[in-house]
Amino acid sequence: MRNWIQTFSIIDFISVGILLTAISMNAIRRLESCVKAYMLNSWLLSLLIAIIAFMINETHLYVAAVTTFLSKGMLIPLFMKRIVRQIKITHDVDPYISNSLSLVISGILVAVVYASLREGVFVTGVSKNALQISVAVILIGLLIMITRRKAITQIIGLLFMENGLFLAGFSMTFGMPTIIELGVLFDLLMGVIILGFFAVQIRKAFMSSDLDKLTVLKG
Amino acid sequence: MAMIIILFMPIITATVCYLLKNHRLVGYANLAGASALAVFAIPTILSFVSNPGTALNGMLYMDALSVYIMVLVILLGLASSAYSIGYLEHEFDMKLMDVKGIRRYYLLLHIFIFTMLLVTVANNLALMWIAIEATTIVSAILIGLGFTKRQLAIEAAWKYIMLCTVGITFALLGIFIIYYASTAVNGTKGELNWTALKEIAGRLNPATMKLAFIFVLVGYGTKAGLAPMHNWLPDAHSQAPSPISALLSGILLNTAFYGIIRVIAIVEPSTGAIFTGNLLIIFGLISIGISAVFILVQENYKRLLAYSSIEHMGIVSLGVGIGGVLGFYGALLHILNHAISKPLMFFASGRIQACYGSTKIENVNGVLSSKPLLGMLTFAGVLSLAGSPPLNIFISEFTILKAGVDKGLWAAVGLFLFFAVIVFYGMMSGFGKILFKGKNNIPPKEEGCEHRKFPMSWLNNGVMIVMALLILMLGVSIPEFLDKTIRACISVIGVR
Repeated sequence: MRNWIQTFSIIDFISVGILLTAISMNAIRRLESCVKAYMLNSWLLSLLIAIIAFMINETHLYVAAVTTFLSKGMLIPLFMKRIVRQIKITHDVDPYISNSLSLVISGILVAVVYASLREGVFVTGVSKNALQISVAVILIGLLIMITRRKAITQIIGLLFMENGLFLAGFSMTFGMPTIIELGVLFDLLMGVIILGFFAVQIRKAFMSSDLDKLTVLKG
Repeated sequence: MAMIIILFMPIITATVCYLLKNHRLVGYANLAGASALAVFAIPTILSFVSNPGTALNGMLYMDALSVYIMVLVILLGLASSAYSIGYLEHEFDMKLMDVKGIRRYYLLLHIFIFTMLLVTVANNLALMWIAIEATTIVSAILIGLGFTKRQLAIEAAWKYIMLCTVGITFALLGIFIIYYASTAVNGTKGELNWTALKEIAGRLNPATMKLAFIFVLVGYGTKAGLAPMHNWLPDAHSQAPSPISALLSGILLNTAFYGIIRVIAIVEPSTGAIFTGNLLIIFGLISIGISAVFILVQENYKRLLAYSSIEHMGIVSLGVGIGGVLGFYGALLHILNHAISKPLMFFASGRIQACYGSTKIENVNGVLSSKPLLGMLTFAGVLSLAGSPPLNIFISEFTILKAGVDKGLWAAVGLFLFFAVIVFYGMMSGFGKILFKGKNNIPPKEEGCEHRKFPMSWLNNGVMIVMALLILMLGVSIPEFLDKTIRACISVIGVR
């Protein structure tokens, strides 16, 4: 089984899947599909953690895989879907830049990350590509955050960033101690709940979930 | 054991406050809880100054630096709890808040204090990260939700939580990288505990640590309000309720900066002080410069105070960046001084806002003649924040300047002085209008603001008078125990 994983470089396949689900965000307009893309991304992430756990035989990584799946793969997507329904907005129309331009920028980001992290301080045990991919996912998440108008898409961009961060964490260090992982996940969960709550409040208070309306405070 | 009890006390207070139904009783319970914490904790933790201790399998750790920041958290928490009672009574009378809102406010206030205490005692860097992120979440609710009738507060809270969470994500990446660097030294097992990392700090890979430090500095720097990642700060600090602004400004920024100082202590032995120092000096000067410009043109006095916070965090960063014993001494002293003067000003501005019903500078004038005591306290606070002698902030700024001159960093010193002059002018002209312009003109009363009396004013005045006295005392001389504690902190960081 282990040989099989190595010969077919399954870990790289899954990492690329994580990257592709992040890139697909550039083309998706429907908010529910955005949430689905995030869900798929998280499932791949937890699968990756489980495979790493299997490869190096670490029990605490199995725990991490399960908790990641439960929180990022189930709880947060369900919560986000509820928020999308509550806000009653289905599409993110006219973002700041067009689909094709944002796809091109994502491509350039990936290329830049690969060029700059080709050789360097990091030697990872599991895969040569995981670190580059994770940094690329973080940057694409950031790109999504700054080019979209809706509060929800910004939250999803943030969630993609955090997934990239987790990928970086696991590919570099084989995971933190379990208690710390649980704490980080808990913080993330709380943060998303609060952000979702604020998104609903913004919708109520400003009669719109476009963040353009949030420009009163400046200077 | 003592550490765990101290951590639990605010949680108990929070629960009690939430369970009580009477809004007056809740206020007193909150004050009782905060005082009990101060009375129990401060004598207990002072023993850690000379001999550090750990708890919970090394997850928690206390040394002089933790004690220094922790005492500030506890005392400011106490001051803020005392001030909150009158402030919330006023909000209650004005029908801006109901009993449920008040209960929720106190619940969150004490959880907020708990998270800040956790930052100061966390030995594990990731635990510290968790605590810092928790402070963001809790304080965002305090800014945004207690006051649903104010749209702007929602806007401010949204910006705050979004920017700080993104920023702090980078800090976690930095911590992962530190963990990775320690695996390379230790073989298979990585280290996250600060004490363990400190021991192997010299053997960590310099290139890796440089990368880690940049991520951590950007991440925690966002939270500490360093420019150019400061955009959330003026909004959040000006829209929050005054006692919360005082906590955000006075101590939350410092706890984030405390995180940076802890990381510096483990990064410096491998990368050398020049690398970290230069980065901090650059960020510090940018913060001072940007805030100086905005202070000059500001029309809203709460925002003016918020920009002043950015300036002072810039000065702390500059002091740490200049480094050496004198630089760290100045920076740590500045943290203390700013943590006294800024809350005083936010408390005073909360009163002014309650009296005049506006946060615009042009709508408020003649405070000194119509409300002499409040005016005097505000005046003392402004003089201190602007850095005028013989008040406390002058001493710490002077110490940092001296450290810079000793090291021959003339460009940094010159720019700092230039910006300091602009800030002085901006602060004095802004608050000069509020304090001196016109006579006795409490403005035309708006509807629903008939009674401008501020409840529980003796308690509020008492808190503010104590703080004003401290400003003056620390300006005249630095007490010996404070001097000793700061020196102990410096030796903990490992500066020679």
